[in-house]
Amino acid sequence: MNLTQQLVNGIVLGHAYALIAIGWTVLLGVARLVNFGHGQMYMLGAFVTWYGISRLGLPYILAIPLAMLVGVAVGYVMQRVMLQLTLKQDLVSIMIVTLGFGYVLHGAAALFFGSTGQILSTPLSMEDVYWGDLWFTYQDIAIVIVAILFFAALKYIIDRTRLGRLARMVAEDPQLAELAGINVKRVYLGVFAFEGAAVALAAALVAPRTPILTSMGFDEVIITFVVVVLGGIGSVLGSYLAGLALGLFVAFFGAFVSPAYAMAAAFAVLIAVLVIRPGGLAVSPGGR
Amino acid sequence: MIMNTGLKTILFAAPAVLGFFVPMALGGSGAVYAACVLVAIFAVMSYGLDIIVSDLGEVSLAHTVFFAAGAYTTALLSASAGMGPILSLAGSILVALAVAALLGFVTLQLREFVFSLVTYAVAVVAATIAQNWSFLGGSDGLRGIPPFEISLLGFSARNDQELWPVAYLLLLVAIYMVSSFRRSKLGKAAMMVHLNQRLAVTSGVDPQQTRLQVFLLSAPITASAGWLYAYQRAYISADVLEAYFLILMLTAVVVMGRRLLLGPLAGVALILVQEKFFSFGGYVDKIILGSVLIVSLAFLPNGIIGLFASIRTLFPRRTMPIGKTIPERS
Amino acid sequence: MNTRPVLETTDLKVAYGGNLALDLPRIAVRERELVGVVGANGAGKSTLVNSLLGWSRGSPKVSGKVLLDGRDISALPPHERVKAGLLLIPEGKLVFTQMSTEENLASTADDAPAGQGRRRYSTDEVYALFPRLYERRHHLGSQLSGGERQMLGIARALRLGPRALLLDEPSIGLAPRLVSTVLETVRSLVDSGLTVLLVEQNVHAAIEVVDRLILLERGRILAEGTASEMRDDPRIAEAYLGAHV
Repeated sequence: MNLTQQLVNGIVLGHAYALIAIGWTVLLGVARLVNFGHGQMYMLGAFVTWYGISRLGLPYILAIPLAMLVGVAVGYVMQRVMLQLTLKQDLVSIMIVTLGFGYVLHGAAALFFGSTGQILSTPLSMEDVYWGDLWFTYQDIAIVIVAILFFAALKYIIDRTRLGRLARMVAEDPQLAELAGINVKRVYLGVFAFEGAAVALAAALVAPRTPILTSMGFDEVIITFVVVVLGGIGSVLGSYLAGLALGLFVAFFGAFVSPAYAMAAAFAVLIAVLVIRPGGLAVSPGGR
Repeated sequence: MIMNTGLKTILFAAPAVLGFFVPMALGGSGAVYAACVLVAIFAVMSYGLDIIVSDLGEVSLAHTVFFAAGAYTTALLSASAGMGPILSLAGSILVALAVAALLGFVTLQLREFVFSLVTYAVAVVAATIAQNWSFLGGSDGLRGIPPFEISLLGFSARNDQELWPVAYLLLLVAIYMVSSFRRSKLGKAAMMVHLNQRLAVTSGVDPQQTRLQVFLLSAPITASAGWLYAYQRAYISADVLEAYFLILMLTAVVVMGRRLLLGPLAGVALILVQEKFFSFGGYVDKIILGSVLIVSLAFLPNGIIGLFASIRTLFPRRTMPIGKTIPERS
Repeated sequence: MNTRPVLETTDLKVAYGGNLALDLPRIAVRERELVGVVGANGAGKSTLVNSLLGWSRGSPKVSGKVLLDGRDISALPPHERVKAGLLLIPEGKLVFTQMSTEENLASTADDAPAGQGRRRYSTDEVYALFPRLYERRHHLGSQLSGGERQMLGIARALRLGPRALLLDEPSIGLAPRLVSTVLETVRSLVDSGLTVLLVEQNVHAAIEVVDRLILLERGRILAEGTASEMRDDPRIAEAYLGAHV
């Protein structure tokens, strides 16, 4: 087993995880909201990309924005339906409703795309790169680059722009934000639309690595969960680091112990962290 | 007063007795019995979750794990170890208690969505383990679960019609437990923790202990549904951990309106009647079930019952005393 | 001076779960006027200013009209009323604690001109008004003292270009010396053109700076008049004593 190869795998996987989780991080950090349909939105993003390429004959570079557009629409509709629950901060109902949305998306996707697995192949995923005895694809390189750019841009927007400031105000105190003339509803809708776009982008980039199934959403949430909680709930930089750490952990655990239980093991680590210091992971609204 | 209680006993024991004859009244065909047994099993499964969601105000997504714990324990004890239903029920409850205690300990400090996420993750990890661990049959699952037979009583159930009395009894017990929980000190403490934790603490309620206790009460209820489900299906595989059961439970708990004693039963009945007799195919059924869940939470804060305010005043009045009358009878 | 009031309410009623908390036939604040609303705890002072914004941390039932420059704004959501120039500095939490002073002052308004009778202060102007905030510009809201937060609250409102400013209990939790500093600042803002409705429990301090005073009791107007008229009003003395018992 080649150690350096596992390191490369881990880095790629880590950026993939971070990218998958980023929509949730913003959702939590900005709106104090959760979305248990996140995994199914990832699935949908992957299938729309696949549909765009293999059925509509779109080039990959156009299939990605198509998937993101669908993601925005789904995110917007979800939040539109839940808006009253959001304004009441009824988190219990929101969790269940998003779970229901995930279930609907699963059914709808299976109906529309069929329940058989598909391979999402892109021009980048078929180009192998050999570097010494290391192997990866151009797709892997794209994942790493896009993840880094996306995180850097997001960090900049949240910390330094008016838009990010409005979002942080809503995160800290939605009612006080209203008194600053901010349309809180619009921020909530925007954040959910962003979450839809972000997870679709992640899916379009990451999903070509493995076969895609309409039932795969169930597991994806767990990756996101581990990244978001380990990264310090709502923190952009923390999510990036946690994603990377999780990627390396899964790569090495999969290579040296057991690939089937890699996720379960990652989760066990998380549980240990939560038991040892539950207070340290408390939500800080608007945290970065 | 005594007269009144006696009258109430008759008034509300009557539906409990009449309920038993529902499958016969519906024609008594095999499909009707199968549907009724499943309604009873899934309703019991949902009652376990009901007290967590409606009373404690938390969302546990790990209740499929308790359901699976009951089903797998039963499969292992009956098919491999040759034990009867009473022992396998005891085993199921013990395993569920152990899992609930472990999970309860881990999540003691966690609230709201972190609690839900951990329970959700537990469900996913449990599904991974069930699919991969050969001890649990891996992806093939466990086969060869013997029919439900209690030789001591000379009782044996080889089909759904013969299993119905067991399923119905289990349902009555579950409803009784939920009803007496709601009237108990623990039930009141849970509501206080739910509605106003600070007030609960100053009133001498320990929120963490309350949460743990409710969790420990809830898990065996759901696990006992898994116990009967194993006998009903005669085999068990990792699909008992699928999202379907989770969504079914949650929908059943919220669709009629929260904290209605017969709500989960009515909810499960509604869903299964649609799926068994008015199905549009698996995927469309998924969309329907998910949409019912979304609509009832986002647009009907008081559930379907809330739509009919006049019926609503009738419903709890009718349901509350049922729990009261049953202990005197059983 | 007998022009249309900047801020006016007619038949304002607020009820919490069927209990009438506020019932006012009319309140009017004219251009460049500082009107004080005083009364004991629970008299309905905060309810009044919150309902003018349609804003609340509870969910009361509000009826009646709120007019800003004659325009009925009672159907608008709070953030639209803010955009129209009605600004509230609430009691209690009034700054974003996880943001620096500078960020708290960064504009949340769009770039459209503030409109008739409104002046949108620049950051430099509010720093000139409150030099203390300039010294503390890199500190987080959570690191500021009560007085500094009160200044920052006012400064944030000025940045949004107020047509009328509603202040809810600015003196609460402040040392007596700071109370008069804050109220004198408010007075000087009015003198330079602002219109203010000030809710204050501290009658003694309020009466020194206001033009007119309204005394509320159990949600109704008990007395109303100019500061000099009200100074000798026995009911004020009573309320004044009441507030300090």
